[in-house]
Amino acid sequence: MSESHALEHHEPITSTGVPNKKILMWAFLGSDCMFFGTLISTHLIYRKISATVGSNYLDIRDVFDIELTSFSTFILLASSLFMALAVSAIHKGNLNSTRLMLFGTIIFGLIFLACQVYEFTHFVHAPGNELTLSSYRGEPHVFGSTFYVLTGTHGTHVAIGVFWLLGWFLYSFTGKMSVAHAIDVECCGLYWHFVDIVWIIIFPVIYLMEYAF
Amino acid sequence: MSGHSEDPVAEESKRFFTFFNLSMALVAITGIEVVIIYVKPIGGAAIIGVLFLTSIVKFIGVIWWFMHLRWDKIVNTVLFLLGLVIALGTFFAVIYMGDTHPVIEKFEVTAFTQDWKAEKAYTKDEFVKVGENFFQSNSDHNSSENFEQNSNLWDQVDGIPHQFSWKITQADTVEIHSEKPENPFFLQFFPTDQEIVEGSQVSLLSQSATTEDFRIKVRSEAFWTEN
Repeated sequence: MSESHALEHHEPITSTGVPNKKILMWAFLGSDCMFFGTLISTHLIYRKISATVGSNYLDIRDVFDIELTSFSTFILLASSLFMALAVSAIHKGNLNSTRLMLFGTIIFGLIFLACQVYEFTHFVHAPGNELTLSSYRGEPHVFGSTFYVLTGTHGTHVAIGVFWLLGWFLYSFTGKMSVAHAIDVECCGLYWHFVDIVWIIIFPVIYLMEYAF
Repeated sequence: MSGHSEDPVAEESKRFFTFFNLSMALVAITGIEVVIIYVKPIGGAAIIGVLFLTSIVKFIGVIWWFMHLRWDKIVNTVLFLLGLVIALGTFFAVIYMGDTHPVIEKFEVTAFTQDWKAEKAYTKDEFVKVGENFFQSNSDHNSSENFEQNSNLWDQVDGIPHQFSWKITQADTVEIHSEKPENPFFLQFFPTDQEIVEGSQVSLLSQSATTEDFRIKVRSEAFWTEN
């Protein structure tokens, strides 16, 4: 048993032994895997079949800023620790700690988003290496489309997660939050960790692999 | 999936160290990934292998401990794995389908230069050169001692006959075109049997040409290949 030890007192018993909210969240995350799976494979396929810009090999390292992306990766990983500790704290009924950890997760999520906004802006306006949705260095190319759609969709997930966390953070000040909400915070945490594992795949596959050869 | 604890609070407290250690491990592994990219101590393919492996380790670490699958009921793991397996299936299927580069194993363009010879067996549609002109046989026959231009055995053709022959591993579209505007030629066809596309065709050109004067472009699925 389980995780549900603290929840059994607050959630109705279900035939699966798992709270319905949690089942729903895992089913959603499973479906979201398929969503990101298609986006990642689409990017990789087009990266392979559109490997040139004009007559030159597409070297995206000229526009990527791997130091910044590595930093934002560390930030997202650290936010996952805060999130796990927030879930742990709410299970223990420690509201102050829950609030603090939620705040940490929100801040780190916002830093990640800020890095992504800076990165996108930098890419689009990189002098001589402009990477837009439909072109690279002024020549038509599909790389920008698949790259921005994939990383932008992930960024949107992060933004949704930040709003969700912010909701619980603000709710914690109302005095109504209790251990009974542990399952809700836990679902929010599952979503946040999922966003983290998607980035765990995106970072090496989309960014680091460009530097492999 | 795990043992029962009498004290949930104590159990949650124990997890703090698990979460902290995992977080440090994730940061360290990510650091290794970045360092490998900078230092490149191994070849490109090996780097990709390492990145693949480290990503899997990090992925499992997060879902197993941070997402509590380690302590949760198996139904959650099954639900997530269902989606993950379908996603991986889609991923590998798309990658596999996209990895069908056609290979042009043979492409040759040869001009007919065979002179007409006396007392030789010719088959229908065969070309011969007489002087500066080309003729095509109307039927199977044995030639006489002298070439009879006005007989019904031969038709003079307008141009120089060239044989185009090709062999391609896989293709759904084949295009052959001349690179010399003064000697125009364009052929496009869509093979119905797309595996091992092999064939030949004789065409009349205004000038004598070689293989180098032509370009062949082949498409299979999303991939174009050309000589």
